[in-house]
Amino acid sequence: MVVLREGMCPGLDADLLRDLRAADIKTVEDVVSSDIEELAQRCSVSYKALFAIRRVLLAQHAAFPVSGADLYEELLSSTAIISTGSPSLDKLLDSGVYTGEITELSGGPGSGKSQVCFSVAVHVSLHLKQSVIFIDTTGGLSASRLLQMLRAETSDTEEQMEALQRIHVFRLFNIFSLLDCLFTLRSGRLQQACVGGGSVKAVIVDSVSAVISPLLGGKQNEGMSLMIQVAGVLKTMAKDFNVAALVTNHVTRSESGGVKPGLGVSWSHIPRTRVLLERREGGADSSLRSATLIKSSRQPCHIKAEFDLQSWSRSKEGSSGKRKLEETDS
Amino acid sequence: MQCSVSSLSLSPAVKSRLTAAGFSLLSELQGLPPSQICAEAGVSQQEALQVLQAVRGSPVRIAPPLTALQLLQEEQQQRSIISFCSQLDAALGGGLPVGKTTEICGAPGVGKTQLCLQLAVDVQVPVCFGGLGGQAVFVDTEGSFLLQRVQDFAGAAVKHCSLLVEDDEQRVAMTTFNVETILSNIFLVRCHDYVELLAELHLLPDFLSEHPRVRLLVIDSMAFPFRLHFDELSQRTRLLNGLAQQFIAMASSHHIAVVITNQMTTRLRGSQSQLVPALGESWGHAPTIRLLLQWAGTQRLAVIFKSPGHPGSTVEYQINSDGFRDAVQSEQPPSKRPRTHTIQSAAGQRDSNQSAPGPRHCS
Amino acid sequence: MTESGAQLFARLEARRCLEDIETRLFPGDGGPEHGEVVELYGSEGTGKTELLYHLLSRCVLPLGAGGLEVDVVFVDTDYSLDMLRLVSILDSRLNAARSFSSSGSDEEVLGSCLSRLLVVHCSSSSQLLLTLHFLETTLSSRPGIALLLIDSISAFYWLDRSEGGTSISKQEEKLSKCAELLGRLLRDYRITVFATCHAIRRNYSGPSSFSSSSSSSSDIDRPYLCRPWKRLVTHRLLCSRQETTNMAAPAAGSSEQKSQQVFTVHCTSSSSSKTKSYRSSSFCVTDSGVEFI
Repeated sequence: MVVLREGMCPGLDADLLRDLRAADIKTVEDVVSSDIEELAQRCSVSYKALFAIRRVLLAQHAAFPVSGADLYEELLSSTAIISTGSPSLDKLLDSGVYTGEITELSGGPGSGKSQVCFSVAVHVSLHLKQSVIFIDTTGGLSASRLLQMLRAETSDTEEQMEALQRIHVFRLFNIFSLLDCLFTLRSGRLQQACVGGGSVKAVIVDSVSAVISPLLGGKQNEGMSLMIQVAGVLKTMAKDFNVAALVTNHVTRSESGGVKPGLGVSWSHIPRTRVLLERREGGADSSLRSATLIKSSRQPCHIKAEFDLQSWSRSKEGSSGKRKLEETDS
Repeated sequence: MQCSVSSLSLSPAVKSRLTAAGFSLLSELQGLPPSQICAEAGVSQQEALQVLQAVRGSPVRIAPPLTALQLLQEEQQQRSIISFCSQLDAALGGGLPVGKTTEICGAPGVGKTQLCLQLAVDVQVPVCFGGLGGQAVFVDTEGSFLLQRVQDFAGAAVKHCSLLVEDDEQRVAMTTFNVETILSNIFLVRCHDYVELLAELHLLPDFLSEHPRVRLLVIDSMAFPFRLHFDELSQRTRLLNGLAQQFIAMASSHHIAVVITNQMTTRLRGSQSQLVPALGESWGHAPTIRLLLQWAGTQRLAVIFKSPGHPGSTVEYQINSDGFRDAVQSEQPPSKRPRTHTIQSAAGQRDSNQSAPGPRHCS
Repeated sequence: MTESGAQLFARLEARRCLEDIETRLFPGDGGPEHGEVVELYGSEGTGKTELLYHLLSRCVLPLGAGGLEVDVVFVDTDYSLDMLRLVSILDSRLNAARSFSSSGSDEEVLGSCLSRLLVVHCSSSSQLLLTLHFLETTLSSRPGIALLLIDSISAFYWLDRSEGGTSISKQEEKLSKCAELLGRLLRDYRITVFATCHAIRRNYSGPSSFSSSSSSSSDIDRPYLCRPWKRLVTHRLLCSRQETTNMAAPAAGSSEQKSQQVFTVHCTSSSSSKTKSYRSSSFCVTDSGVEFI
């Protein structure tokens, strides 16, 4: 709701505001939903003036309808698909992470969520020469790992450094600072934040569940509300700035042993595409991971892909760990 | 979508008063005198001031973003805590990283507490020996802190360093690096249940501000106080998730390494049973690095289960009277050699970071 | 409120009735009439969105391609409208129709379909209320609009719950106002409203708990939005996914098996003129959208 203030629109002066308050009209909603004719009489203003005020307020605060044809044209010219750096994962996602929507990676500890995030960040900054916003809520971001991935892609040190400079990192450990940061980015700082680094193509939140899950449960609705706000601001940002929003989520385990993404039913409607990552059965230090598409509007669900975390760090000279090479081959 | 009042870090009661009065966006509160907020929303003067503080504070609360390059430089400046087990250090890229949280899981007797005690000693190795010259906070929830073992470890560490003395700086450093100072630089906190633990962790940021030399926080163990006394499992999960965020915030703002130990528990999956870390699935995301200590016959193995910076790997270790050490292997030079090697490799690691990392560090 | 003659004419002129929008979905001959509200209810992954796109494309497609050729307003509160998906559904239906009759170029026909669609994004319940007020002028100026889609009506449920504090009536105030306004628009402009509603679990019992869809389905399927909204709803489509056995071994399953994910819709109609009636139907989702079985 928006409180009526003096000078909000022409004709809304202090006197009228006082009269409106007396008639229990305090917010824009109140004005819009009230009977203008009756209100005009009670506040002794002309019907015409009040009607004009209502129209201006509506135009200021309502959302405008856009033709579907225009929307489609705009979408065609602006949508980009960002590669994850892993061919099998790209295939699973119908060629990569799409801009303009939220993509979720969920999985247990050590299932490779952060590694996929790093890879996307590296891909955007190195190959697309665009900026990335990386919001780290678990302290899991390792710049040396990013460098290592970059080294596997290019041997040019200058290029590596430039790519690192295009990855902008926020380290936020509670939901309020996360929201604050997202709203600040949303209000236009997103493009400003990264001067000289090309436009922002991806916003990565690793992980979104780490800050939300401590608030869920109990009798309070506040946690739910904050969660929906995080979702809302990510969605609008993805759409309006045409960036890819990539978030990670933890998993919960049922009695039967199956896993499903965390954060509950209300969150399940939020991401457009959801991928579940799992360790392959085998040694605890195996680098093979499997990915299952569990929600998508482009691909049939429950298709699987496998990928190898090693492939992102194997530089031109080859890997040094003998053990791992053997496991990869098998 | 604009920043709404409900996203402010205020009590729910105050927020619902504000929205009831029609304030829904932050921009509407900006620039209002506190008296007007009091009158319109029916909150106390003090609450109104809190509201304005929260509104005004918002742009300042968020530090400007770092670029990954700056972060890389920061990471390279931050040293790691060496474990005196060269293989483990190598697998972790030079030791236990400062500024991150590490969880050590394992069955009873496999050496979790021993490793923690070792780290509490190692964090104090003087800077000129490639250490951190720091202090340690040891939160003991199981009563497993054994002074005698710490003395042994400290003695071994002092003896080891004294053998390495080469220049005057190191000689000076050795005068203050002895068993007594080592013990005096470990702050021991004993917590008996989870309420005490929560309270202690709440006060810890202030303690850390007063003691800026602290580089290591050990919680041994996390599982013990949280295994019992919970009627509702979701409450435990919530508390644990909240603690996880506190730990990582502490680790990064005070530049300390947070080490948490955890027990193992049996998970039934159909007819199969599996040994997994305790405290549930979502706790698994809390630590940045997860280290599994396990038995393989008579060998003890340390497995890096997850680490964003390093691939998973398995190393062998042993625990002797001197502390946590490399396993004596045929290919590895025996006796004193590994220890010297440890510190040198840690020092070498720092140098190589500037140019190109060694192959072991890299993959 | 003043009303020009043209506006009055537009308002009272019968809009296209959507009774026959999808005969396989509604019981008997009872599709939604003028001024009726259809709620699509279901949890994530139960085919709500696909069903919505199916109905939407039926509306905007030209008569020659089996459509109704009416205008649609899409109120997107979830920011979830996937234009690319919608276009691919429209494309495949147009292609199927083209084999029988040829009419215009592809791009043109698609463009005219899409221009029948008006999209509006809302990011809060008060904006939704104001936007509905604003849409009144659009409705009166475009007599072609027969359908108002809201995806989803439950988007701001938690925000409103939290903002309303402890008072239930405060929590439900905004949605009640929206429902009242919708009621008036339905009467005055004789449109039809389709709205999706996400299933939620109100008593959130922590991330460690897991509800198998069978045990707690009764709680999940119960409507929870405010009474004024419940009173508006005349048809309720309860979407669910049939538990298929191939879930256990999706990797091994052939591609045929995967595309056979079957969704079930259970429709409950209780419009004023008729007594309550039910109908269940099943569909599966293909590249060209919903196909009823």
